[in-house]
Amino acid sequence: MPDLSTPIGLSLIVVALPLVGCLLAALCHVGRAVKLAHLPVIVSFASAAAIACYVLYAVSGQSGDLIQTASLGTWFSSGRLSVPLAFQLDPLSAVMLAMVTFIATFIAIFSASYMHGEAGYARYFAFIALFVFAMCLLVTANNFFVLVAGWEGVGLCSYLLVGYYYAKPSAAAAARKAFLVTRLGDVGLILGIFLLWKAGGYQTNIDAVIRHIAEHPPGDGYMTAACLLLFCGAVGKSAQLPLYVWLPDAMEGPTPVSALIHAATMVTAGVYLLARTAPLFVMSPTAQVVVTIIGGATAVLAAFIALAQYDLKRVLAYSTVSQLGFMFMALGCGAAISPTIAVTAALFHLLTHAFFKALLFLGSGSVMHAMGNVIDMRKFGGLRKLMPTTHWTFLIGSLALAGFPLLSGFWSKDRILHALSEAGYSRSEFHYLYQAVFYTACLTALLTAFYTFRAYFLTFWGEERVPPEAHGHAHESPRTMTIPLVVLAVGAVFVGIIADPLTHWFDHLLERAPVLHQANEAFTKTTNLKVGEHHFDWGVAGLSTLIAVAGIGAAAAVYRRGGPERVPGPLRGIFALSANKAYVDEIYGATVVLPAETAATGGRQLDGFLDALARLVSFVPRFAAAVLRPLQNGLVQFYALGMVLGLAVFITVVVFRSVR
Amino acid sequence: MDDLFSPNVMRWVLLAVLAAPLAFAAVLAVGGGNARVARRLAGLLAALHLGLTACVVTPAAVMIAEYGGMNDGQAYKHFRPVFVPGDTGDGQEHRTAWSLFFVGKPNPAPNAPQPAVQFYIGLDGINVWLVALTSLMTYIAVAVSWGFAQERAGAYYAWLFVLQSAVTGAFLSFDVILFYVFFELTLIPAFFLIGGWGVGGGKRDAARKFFLYTLFGSLLSLVGLVGIVLTNPTPPGGWMNKTRGQALKQGRGTISFNVSDLMRSAARWSDEHDSAVAEASFKAEQTPKDTGRREQAEKELADATAARTGYKTTQFWLFFLLVAGFVVKVPLVPFHTWLPAAYAEAPPAVTLLLSALLAKLGTLGLLRIVIPLCPHMAAEYGLAVFGTLGAVGVVYAAFCAYAQKDVKMMAAYSSVSHLGLLALGLFALNPEGLTGAVLHMVNHGLTAGGLFAVVAILYDRYRTTDMTHLGGLMARHPALAFFTVVICLAGVGLPGLNNFVSEMMLIGALFTPWNTAAMGYGLAVAAAAGIFLSAWYTFTMLRSVFFGPVRTPALVDGTAAPADLTGREVIVFGLIATLCLALGLYPQPVLAVMKGDVAVVAYTLQSARESVNRELAEAENRVSGTTPTQQPISMNPTLIPAGAGRGGPGGPPAGGPGGPPRPPQQPPR
Repeated sequence: MPDLSTPIGLSLIVVALPLVGCLLAALCHVGRAVKLAHLPVIVSFASAAAIACYVLYAVSGQSGDLIQTASLGTWFSSGRLSVPLAFQLDPLSAVMLAMVTFIATFIAIFSASYMHGEAGYARYFAFIALFVFAMCLLVTANNFFVLVAGWEGVGLCSYLLVGYYYAKPSAAAAARKAFLVTRLGDVGLILGIFLLWKAGGYQTNIDAVIRHIAEHPPGDGYMTAACLLLFCGAVGKSAQLPLYVWLPDAMEGPTPVSALIHAATMVTAGVYLLARTAPLFVMSPTAQVVVTIIGGATAVLAAFIALAQYDLKRVLAYSTVSQLGFMFMALGCGAAISPTIAVTAALFHLLTHAFFKALLFLGSGSVMHAMGNVIDMRKFGGLRKLMPTTHWTFLIGSLALAGFPLLSGFWSKDRILHALSEAGYSRSEFHYLYQAVFYTACLTALLTAFYTFRAYFLTFWGEERVPPEAHGHAHESPRTMTIPLVVLAVGAVFVGIIADPLTHWFDHLLERAPVLHQANEAFTKTTNLKVGEHHFDWGVAGLSTLIAVAGIGAAAAVYRRGGPERVPGPLRGIFALSANKAYVDEIYGATVVLPAETAATGGRQLDGFLDALARLVSFVPRFAAAVLRPLQNGLVQFYALGMVLGLAVFITVVVFRSVR
Repeated sequence: MDDLFSPNVMRWVLLAVLAAPLAFAAVLAVGGGNARVARRLAGLLAALHLGLTACVVTPAAVMIAEYGGMNDGQAYKHFRPVFVPGDTGDGQEHRTAWSLFFVGKPNPAPNAPQPAVQFYIGLDGINVWLVALTSLMTYIAVAVSWGFAQERAGAYYAWLFVLQSAVTGAFLSFDVILFYVFFELTLIPAFFLIGGWGVGGGKRDAARKFFLYTLFGSLLSLVGLVGIVLTNPTPPGGWMNKTRGQALKQGRGTISFNVSDLMRSAARWSDEHDSAVAEASFKAEQTPKDTGRREQAEKELADATAARTGYKTTQFWLFFLLVAGFVVKVPLVPFHTWLPAAYAEAPPAVTLLLSALLAKLGTLGLLRIVIPLCPHMAAEYGLAVFGTLGAVGVVYAAFCAYAQKDVKMMAAYSSVSHLGLLALGLFALNPEGLTGAVLHMVNHGLTAGGLFAVVAILYDRYRTTDMTHLGGLMARHPALAFFTVVICLAGVGLPGLNNFVSEMMLIGALFTPWNTAAMGYGLAVAAAAGIFLSAWYTFTMLRSVFFGPVRTPALVDGTAAPADLTGREVIVFGLIATLCLALGLYPQPVLAVMKGDVAVVAYTLQSARESVNRELAEAENRVSGTTPTQQPISMNPTLIPAGAGRGGPGGPPAGGPGGPPRPPQQPPR
């Protein structure tokens, strides 16, 4: 047991607190104190956030070795597979811990009002707390299996919370889809982990595996396979092509769940995993470029689909998919320019995105709350007078998402574009691919600005319209809901500028993460290049400003007056393609789901056939009986004849044998 | 207190654990005319038995964890059960003196192997948890039969207890014939339970098919067993005799039916043949060419080689005969076709026992009998043949499970799929796989048993388990839904619940050098695909039965809507869920108990691998890379007896001590 006053000890407390909150909320559920269920959860989150912020402060003030580990004994062990319950704290974990608990606190406060009066209030809070526990476990895990425990734990909570309205068939279906699609990626993750276990000298500790592999590289093909398998897990969890389809459907859950799990935290687990294993990915440039390409393709496809959605939450969901794609684009640049630049850019975007996307989701939740659970933008509009706080905070979130200068999204997106443009001119053998992805990213940024402000204008501008479901009670949400919005809005404005261009705190902190040192070492070893440094590029910044302004301007030109959709004739086809989500669900249905179900039915029929074969064997005795039965016909003459014939044969044989 | 839990007392308690269910059965058969009386009595007796089992399993686990498998830093080469009734030497010999009948002249020496079928039962790290599981699952089966058995309830519960006794006996047996008798004995109660109290129209047909199919397999196994016993007598000089290659010249020894003896003999005879060939070849090389002596030496070499080939060929065929009964019992695809009918037609509680316990007879038989008695054949063909069948089964049965319309049938195929994974990891034949397999037997017993308990509740409430008739039950039965979700999550291998641990071991076992050299990564991919496929059919079932709008069949007699779990049922499911959680969060104590006996099997297999392909076997035994701080694998290097010439990491690549180097392996023709 580590000293609880050290940063690592404190971070263990941070991990444990949500679990305590979960158990207390569960007790509230059983003990008929349902209405109090939010209290233990909010208190535990808030104290966890306070401690996590202190831990982050302590870690960033520390000098020297920035990784601390702690083990709570053996989880399970047999032969070479020895898995301790081991945790670690490094700048990466510290940032994630603080971010997760901070945002979770405000989302829990928001939920207390938003979920008020729902059946299963305590269930909701117990699951949220369990989720935060699992997420903290994931980001502090020091070995692959504890990481998988957190990884699957967040997946489970996502399943339970997406299916929160379990009596609704669409929610039940979405929950199942979310779990299964991510699980498909987990197959790859498990295989990748075992490949690394083998190559890493049968160790499970991530750090030790990385060191062992750096000393005894197992060969390019092996590394590429292992990295791509890990990436499969990330693709599932972080909703990238081809496994992103679960995330938009996951919007069936309560809106705060979408804000916490499907925007700010869980879906970033894949990004975290790739950052944590960056030294391995650096060893395989092929895997790296695949990461970038998948990220780019996902980003542009999701942004395209977001253009024509009417469901406000779905716009945000596709936007999340798209922004995660940005993070993967950055991560994939590691082997081309410098792992530090790549990982820092991705994690910086992860951090800022958590703020503004949580803000946008909570804002949409606030709208939904006022509109009587209606979220279709065709049914309401012009809400800026009715819900002023929601409007302003939503506007800030939208500007940040669109990458408007000086807001946090601008700085982080700029880093990603910069990394891509550098990679495009690097000496990497794939530099032309990075160039292509750079242009894709620029296009995506344009689309992002456009669809974000389309949603903004459709919701808040134009003539005021309120759906009948609101029952005339449409008003600004209560304080407990608007305060979280304001806090997150402040974050969305300032986190970027404070953490990066003003203080360079984020860079300095992550630079000292041991995992990035290892990645840099691997980088210089494989490429013989010096590790580059990030510097602000006015050209890229100017371009990204231009893109953001153009996108916002275009959206303003079309949707400024709110109201019904106006699509110019020639674009109708493209609009329909976007509105129908590029038919991806239908394509998957025809190419994956249907064949799998057919195979299942085929399997059942084959099983009947196998059974028939087994029965055929059981007919052998019966058949033999049918052949032999006529012999037992009860006629004495027949038996006598048989005896005579038998005797004759016998004597003949005896005679011939003796003669010879 | 120490006296109370001493081996001398405990061996009688163990005997009581085996015999008590038979007494219970007699009581119920006589006095269980009234259904209400019968079920209360059965519940009471099953709970009593659970207590009795706890009394013997706990001290056994402690004792095995302390001494099991290790002696002065050496891994034993054979099983050493504790609490053996009829122990010859104050509990220290781990053998029994209770011979049932002799097939040769009794050996007068003390503690000597007897040419006799013995009543040899005991607990070791492999069966101790299975015995506990048996008692627990019988209790659960009785508890979920509460409303089921109305007609001839006394007889129903009596047969359940007979089944329990037979299963316990098979788990406890260390004599191959005794094992076989108990193994076959399970068929009789199962036959009557399916045929007599079955829930479908085809119950008699299903019972007959179950009986005949499994009997057919196990008769082949009997032939195999007899063959193994006859071809592997105890070497005349004993197993501890250091001089290799001599036993063949000394003629045959006494035969033995005891697993511990047989596994040593099997290892020794193979060694003897190898050594004889090596010696002859050494001699042939040393003799000057073109002389009569050279000719003579070459003839001797040819004879020794022929003898070895003959021995190996025999063992090869005996291995496949021996396996037959167990792969049918498990069952491995494609020998599973008795299962759908039997599971569907059997009463829900009996299906529970079939899958939670009887399937384990098959896997335990593989682990206890087949692998130790045919280590060379298992090392050479186990993974390629039965591992492949397991891998096919994982995927195939999962697809079949998805296509089922009935919860019970889905659970049945899911069981086949999980057992395929178990067999796959088992035939990886390394400590990870063997540990994973033993643990998975317990885990699968809990989760499959739990799932069938859910089926029993559904059947009790609605008289159907058809998914098209059931839906949205979460709204009506929140407690049942909660426990079902927990059990299902355990079943799909969610970390923190039990199956995750054993599944990780089973999958990891396939990544070791020996196994990837033999089979590549295809088996591992199939095993890992099971992670997704199990979630696929399980969550589909959950969605259609528990979520969505409420949909139930018309009530049978128009009375009140079926209730949620009763207090008794909450206890049952709470027990299962708690155990799933405990085994998922902190399995290490359980693993510590099985470690020694797993090392025994792993050691036997490592020796066998070395005689099949020395280089690869050493790679298998070595931790890759050169970091010196790492623990070597199957056991601590100091535990590997250097006299046997098994090189640990960096150990001498020796043959027999002072003997000639071993020849390269020659597969049997």
